This record gives sequence, C-alpha cells and structure tokens, in this order.
Amino acid sequence: MAIRVNPKLIEDLTSFGAADVNMCYHCGDCSAVCVHSDELYRFPRKSMRQLQMGLGEKIDTALEPWLCYYCGQCSDQCPREANPGETMMSLRRWLINRYDITGIAGKFFRSKKTEILTIVAIGLLTAMAALTYHFFRGSIHVYDGENAFLPSLLVHLFDLFLGAFLAVILLLNAGNMWRLTMLKGKEISIPWWLYLKEFLVLPLHFFTQIRYAKCDTGNREKPYMPWIVHLGLMWSYLTMLILVMVFLPFLQSGPQIDWSVHIFGYLATIGLATGLVYFIRSRIRMHYVQYKKTHATDWVFVILLLIITVTGIFQHIFHRLGLPVAANVTYLLHLMAVTPWLIRMPFTKWAHLIYRPLAMYFSEVRRSAVALEQKSEVSFRPVLQTI
Amino acid sequence: MKSCRIGVYICSCGTNIAKAVDVESVRTYAEEQPDVVFARTYKYMCSNPGQEMIVQDIRENNLDRVVVAACSPRMHERTFRKALQSAGLNQYLFEMANIREQCSWVHEDPVTATVKAKALTRAAIRRVALHEPLENLTVDMSPRTLIIGGGIAGMTAALELAEAGHHVYLVEKQDHLGGNLARVDLTAPYLDSARDLITDRITRIRSNKNVEALFNSRVTEVKGFVGNFTAAVKNINGGSDNPARELSVGNIMVCTGYKEFDASRITHYGYGKLPDVITSFEFEQMLKRGRIMTREGKTPQYAAILHCVGSRSQEFHAYCSRVCCMTALKYVHELKSANPACYVSDVYVDMHAFGKGHEDFYTRTSEVKTLFLMYEKNDHPVIRKADPKDDCGMLIEVNEKLSGEVIEIPADLVILMVGMEAREDSGEIARLVNISQDKEGWFIESHPKLEPVATTTDGIYIAGTCVAPKDIPDTVAQARAAAARILGRITKGKIDVDAVYSEVDETICCGCRICNNLCPFSAIEFDAEKHCSHVITAACKACGVCVATCPASAIKGRHFTRRQIFAQIEGLMSPA
Repeated sequence: MAIRVNPKLIEDLTSFGAADVNMCYHCGDCSAVCVHSDELYRFPRKSMRQLQMGLGEKIDTALEPWLCYYCGQCSDQCPREANPGETMMSLRRWLINRYDITGIAGKFFRSKKTEILTIVAIGLLTAMAALTYHFFRGSIHVYDGENAFLPSLLVHLFDLFLGAFLAVILLLNAGNMWRLTMLKGKEISIPWWLYLKEFLVLPLHFFTQIRYAKCDTGNREKPYMPWIVHLGLMWSYLTMLILVMVFLPFLQSGPQIDWSVHIFGYLATIGLATGLVYFIRSRIRMHYVQYKKTHATDWVFVILLLIITVTGIFQHIFHRLGLPVAANVTYLLHLMAVTPWLIRMPFTKWAHLIYRPLAMYFSEVRRSAVALEQKSEVSFRPVLQTI
Repeated sequence: MKSCRIGVYICSCGTNIAKAVDVESVRTYAEEQPDVVFARTYKYMCSNPGQEMIVQDIRENNLDRVVVAACSPRMHERTFRKALQSAGLNQYLFEMANIREQCSWVHEDPVTATVKAKALTRAAIRRVALHEPLENLTVDMSPRTLIIGGGIAGMTAALELAEAGHHVYLVEKQDHLGGNLARVDLTAPYLDSARDLITDRITRIRSNKNVEALFNSRVTEVKGFVGNFTAAVKNINGGSDNPARELSVGNIMVCTGYKEFDASRITHYGYGKLPDVITSFEFEQMLKRGRIMTREGKTPQYAAILHCVGSRSQEFHAYCSRVCCMTALKYVHELKSANPACYVSDVYVDMHAFGKGHEDFYTRTSEVKTLFLMYEKNDHPVIRKADPKDDCGMLIEVNEKLSGEVIEIPADLVILMVGMEAREDSGEIARLVNISQDKEGWFIESHPKLEPVATTTDGIYIAGTCVAPKDIPDTVAQARAAAARILGRITKGKIDVDAVYSEVDETICCGCRICNNLCPFSAIEFDAEKHCSHVITAACKACGVCVATCPASAIKGRHFTRRQIFAQIEGLMSPA
C-alpha cells in the first residue's frame, strides 16, 4: 500500500523550527558523521526525507528524534546548510505535540503569544489566590507558622495537587507515546517479555544520560562538557523537585539553617545556576551550531527557570536574614513563576525528561525484537537506505 | 629496372624497440639488401638530430629512397616526409616499417622479434624501390555555403558566414525561422526569454543580403564533392511539377535539429488519456499563453514534473537528453511565480546539473521548497486518476529511492519532460549528404572529441541537436565552430587534394559501373559519353575498394600500385 505524500506537513513543521529541510539532497553525510546512527535507527537523513515528503505517520511513530542529543556535527558537516540537527530538534518538539493528548503543547509551540499569555495569566491567578488568602488570614509580616503570609503546609498541599495533575497528564501522554511508537509504528511483533528484559535501560538513561557522553563535539569544547552540564542540571532539577514536593515544610522552616535538608538545596541551586548560565550564555553567543537557532519556547524555558532560581535564592536569604516582608514578596514572585512552570511541564520541552529515556527503552525493546526476528530470516537492505 | 640508392634508418625508440629487437642485427641485415647504400641506428629517429641525420645523408650520399623502421606511420610518417622534403627529395619516396606497435610491443622473445623486424624492414625496402614521386593537387572551390535547417544553430552559422561577407543559402522546411527554440518560453538557468534570443537573429538575417533564406523548402539532391557541391532545393508547397532550384556551394552544413519523444508510447503515464498529463512542449505553450491551468480551467494546487520521459531507459532511449533537468527546474520557478501556493513535486532519476550556472539553479530551486523525489531508472512511476474524495486530480505512484518507500504523490497537473530523438527524416538527410548515423539516428561526427562538427565526408559539417541532444550554449558553440571551419576553407580559396587517390585507365575500363555504387565517398562518376567511370580526385579517400573490385583491373591506386604491394608482400615472405 502506497503512502500518500503530504507536501503541506512541512509548512506546519516550520513553526516548530524546521526551516531548511528542503535544501537537503540526501548525500547522507549527516548520518555518516552521527555516532548514534546505526543499522536499525538511521538518522538524520532518513528523518529529513520523511519530513520533506510529509510522511506524517512515519514521523509520528519514529523514535529516532529522541536518540539524537544535538551535538551539531551533522549540521556542521552538511554541504547544503539543510541543518539536520535543527530538524531533529524540531521533530522532538513536533513529537511532544503529537504525544500530548490535550493539544495544549501544539498551541504553545505554534504561538509564543499563547504561551506567554498563559504563563502570565497563571502567574497572576497564583498571586490573586495568595492575596485573597492574605485578605482573610495571613500577615505579610509573618513568614512561617500559623499566621504566615504563605503557610508552608498550604503551599505543600498546593504542590502535591499540582504534582498529581502533572503525573496524570504525563502518564497519559507517555501511554500515548507507547501507543504511537510501539503499537502503531511496529513493523514486527514485540513479545511482552522483551519489555522486562530491557527494563534496566530506562533508569540507566534517565539517571546517567550516558548516550549524550558519546556525542562528538569536534574540537569545539571538551567532549564531556555539554553532557556533564546537562546531567548536572537534570540532577539538580530533580533534587529540587523532590525537596519541594516531599520536604517543603522542612525546607521552609527557619530562620536557622537545617543542614540535613538545606545542604541538598544548596547543591541543587549551584547545579541549576551553573547549567542555566552555561546554556543561556551559549544561546546568546551562538558559537555552536546547536545554539544558533533558539525557538521561542526554549527562551521561555530558560528565562522562567532563571526567574525561579533567582527568586528562590533571594527568598531563602531574606528569610535567614530575618526580613519576613522581603522574603514573603520574593516568595510570592517565586510561586508566580513556579506555578505556570509546573503546569506547563508536560506540554513543553521539559517533557523530554520523560520521553527521551522512554524512547531509549522502547528503541532497545524494538532492537531485541528485530534481533529475534533476524535469527529466523536473513534480511537484505539496499545500500542507499542504510545511511 | 634502374637501380636506386636507399638509406635505411632503424630507431631504438629509447628502449621501446631495443628491449625486444636487436637493432644492430637489423642494421647489418638491411645493409645486405639490394640497393641499400647503408643503414644506421639511432636512439630517437624522430628527434631533431635524428631527422637532421637523414637530411644530411640524403644530401651527401645522393640517397633517392628512405626507409625508417620505427613506430606506426600514423605517428611519424608526416615527420619523416617533411625531412625528405627539406632535403629536396619527393616526400613519397619514403616508406616506414612499423617495428614498434606491430613488433617490439607485442612480442616478448627477442629472437623472433628481431626476425620479424628484419622481415618488416625488408618489405619496406622492396616496396620503396618501386615508389614514384607524386605531387599534391589543388582545385578551385565555391565560397557559397548551404545550411540545412533554420533553428538556432542554422541561424547562428548563417550570420557568422554572412557577416564575414560570404553568401549563404539557409534552407528551412517550415515557413519561419527559429526551429524548436521558437516553441519555448523562457530558457534555463537564467530565465531569459527564448523569443529575445531568436528575434535578434531573425532581424539580422532579414537585413543581411548575403543570406538567402528559402522557406518551405527541402534539399532533394546533393552531388559533387568538397568545394564544388551542387544541391537541388525544392519548395514543398509548390507540388511535384515545381522545378528544383540548383545551388552551387562549396560547403554544406546540416543542422536539422531534433523532435520530441512521443509520450503516448509510455502507457502507464496515461498521456493522451488523462487530460492533465501534458508534455513539456504543451506546458511551454501554456506558459506562452500566460496562464497555467488544468483542462477544466482550474489553477493547479499540486503540480508534478516527471523527468526522463523516453530518455535513459531500456525500452526507449538509453541516452540522456541533457536539457530536461534544467528545463524542469525552470518549470518549478515558473509554476511558483505564477502561484506561490502551488506544491511542486519534481520526480527525477538523477539530477544532471552539469553546465555553467546549473548547480546554483538547482540550489535556488531547492530554496523555493520544491519536493524532489527520486525513482530508479526503468522502475517507472504510474499515473492514475484520484478518487473524488481526494483533494487532487491524479496520483502518481513511485517507488521512492531515497526513502525506500512506495509513495503516491498528489497532482492536478503532470508535466512529462519528453526527451529528444532524431528526426524521422534524418536517415534521408544522411543519405543525401553521405554521412553516417548511429543506432539512435544521430549524425556521427568525424571524431567525437577532436572533430566534433566535421563528418567523414569532406565539406559536410554537422552542428546542434541533429548530432546529439544538447543545450543552447553547446548548439551555438558548435554552429560557430562549423562556421569557423568553413570560413577557414573559404579564406584559403583552394582545396588541397592528396596525391594518393585512384585513377581509372579509360582504355581498359569497360563501363560496368560496379565501382560507382561501391565507393563509400561517392567519388566515382560515370561518363556516359565515353562509357567509362571517372574518379573525382578531390572526393577520393584512397580506400582502395574500387581498385580491388574492378574486374578489368582498370583502376590503379596511386602510391598503392599492385607492383608496390606485391613487392612488399614478397619482401615480407621471402626467407631471411
């Protein structure tokens, strides 16, 4: 059965960042230079082709975009300036949109106006809620305890509620990803026990991002640098998320420093700040190909995280210094940024925290299934399709 | 037989000959032969000192014949003939023995190689003793030129010759000039108007009194030889009783162009059945009319261009038509400039962007978001009508090579890039002017690289797409090259005729005329009055067919007489 070509699809992908795909003439340099491209998962050339031809189903069921960490070598080598690295990036944005069952992700990616207005609206709603509470009960002069402006127990409950919301959406979207990539996109049968056999791949890639370390950065910087910084950022983020979600009452106690809890907060803050400075600086300097094109949602991602980090640091300092009003104001600003940040997590770039390790896991399950199949038959592939 | 004084020169050719042939032994052997005054060896006989040695020997020792045993005469016969001339000896009193290509290079055993070298040298010595001094001839020629075909090649050549002051007859079958180029809208890759290219030339031809354009005309007969052709030209509108006009010309140029491949021969493209499958020339017409539309008058949302229609295929033509790739890219630009919202798919086999500016043009076409799709040669796409629920009129099924997927491409308008093929009357033209065609019907040039516009018949030149598919710049270059060749000959004013040609002894010839039809150069005429055949010296190439054929042995090949050939054979065969 022939697949219908859809030349219109690429126009939609343009708002996700794919700009130069049509320049590609399929020399295959990009796939040749990529350390992650192999016999089974061939990219970026093949992804470029699917995108040029608008093979929607092939694109939606592909795992390849998640196997790329965007070292930028492919775009560097491209003789046609077709920017395969950026294409893989746009495909990841596209997939976040396709996995999202609510359709919100697509709206954010397609219009930065919608995204920014939503953030501002949620931020203002948060502020209104806090001020309404203050009107009835809390005092701006009290940071902690019964009459606190923003009692940590209440915020904790609010956080848990948001966390649950997040988890549900993410779970549904991850399920959708599994349906698209493993059910709809399957060309071979995958026995259930392979999911058990390959299960360790999931935590391995989640906690180590070890494939990123294999990326070739050329002579531009130390090969482990982007990986280390990215890994540090993720670990710091995860630590902070756990601290806020589980240990918030301990974190907010004071004014004295509770080292058993706060030491984790300080380390995470250092990690977050370092990562943010590294990535923001790169995006401003635009010295490597992967930082040359920054999608609006990428800017929102780093800027919002920067606001959260800075306000978090200051409210902590003010609280320790015994300045409850200043601490309360910065805390409110912090929450005004955190709430939209948490709510939009499943619909934005952030979701790659979940999708990427899942994709690694699924890709290995598929690989095992193919190996099983090949034991019984010898497959032949024309040379041109191997790159 | 009066005795002669022969000098024999044996070349070592560095080690090329000496490694297999004992040149000293050949030398002593040659000196033992009758009439040989002496024999010498030298490292490089073709070098200046080598030639000077021969010249000096001729002068000092009164040599009247020279034999050089060295390489092939194709390599250095001319060199040594010149040496003889500069010593005051007739250049035909020379013979070359090929002991390199036919001996040292092909034999490993030095003993047998030396025996063979001796035999070859002995044969040359026997032959040269019978050589006669011969003189080259010159004949007068007509400065007028006949050009067949009024396309861009014919017009360009006509102007080149006419503006140099020479009379040109430009014979055109149609009632207007311009040929196939007149059917084209814009040209690739610079998107210049084809009309501008043509009208300038037509105006200049009209105002130049040296060009006599004969419209609706055909050449029906060509007689004569280089410098003195007579061509009969008939007006095809005048009916059969219309008398042919006789033109006397010195040179003839054939630039009859091509015709496009008949797309209905490929059944799975649906040409002739699906109304919106059109050929590139039909699309050009559409462009010239100024509106791109389907048969129903709608603006196409999806357009597809299909390459290599009739070209590069097993079934039809194996060759590439050279112009279609860039023309297709031109169509992309024309489609997009007419309707920027149009989705254009370009379905190709290989993108041939070989010429100046072509690669840039391909890049520019990629920039306007063209969907390039690749199919395997001979794995032809299939075009069919779409369902009413589809948002397109047709679907093209392609086994797409770069993705490995079988895909279907939506299309409202399909443009078939039809290739070039030889005109149906090219065989007739070839017979008329006595030139050859290849298996595809294209005219064959004298040498594909070094003589691209000359033919094996002197005075007949070919240019443009009647030789092979080519684009406008190449066609114009060929037309100008042919014009330059003709101008060179006109400037000289005389035709040089080699002294080597056949002669008929009229006292022996019985007029059987067997030779007349066998001569591959049409160089033998029949004199009805004398009832015997007659060789046109200027047209004869001395191939010897007539000499071998003549049942009465009435024809003699100058410089290849029976006595000379038999002496050579005897020399070769006699025991050492």
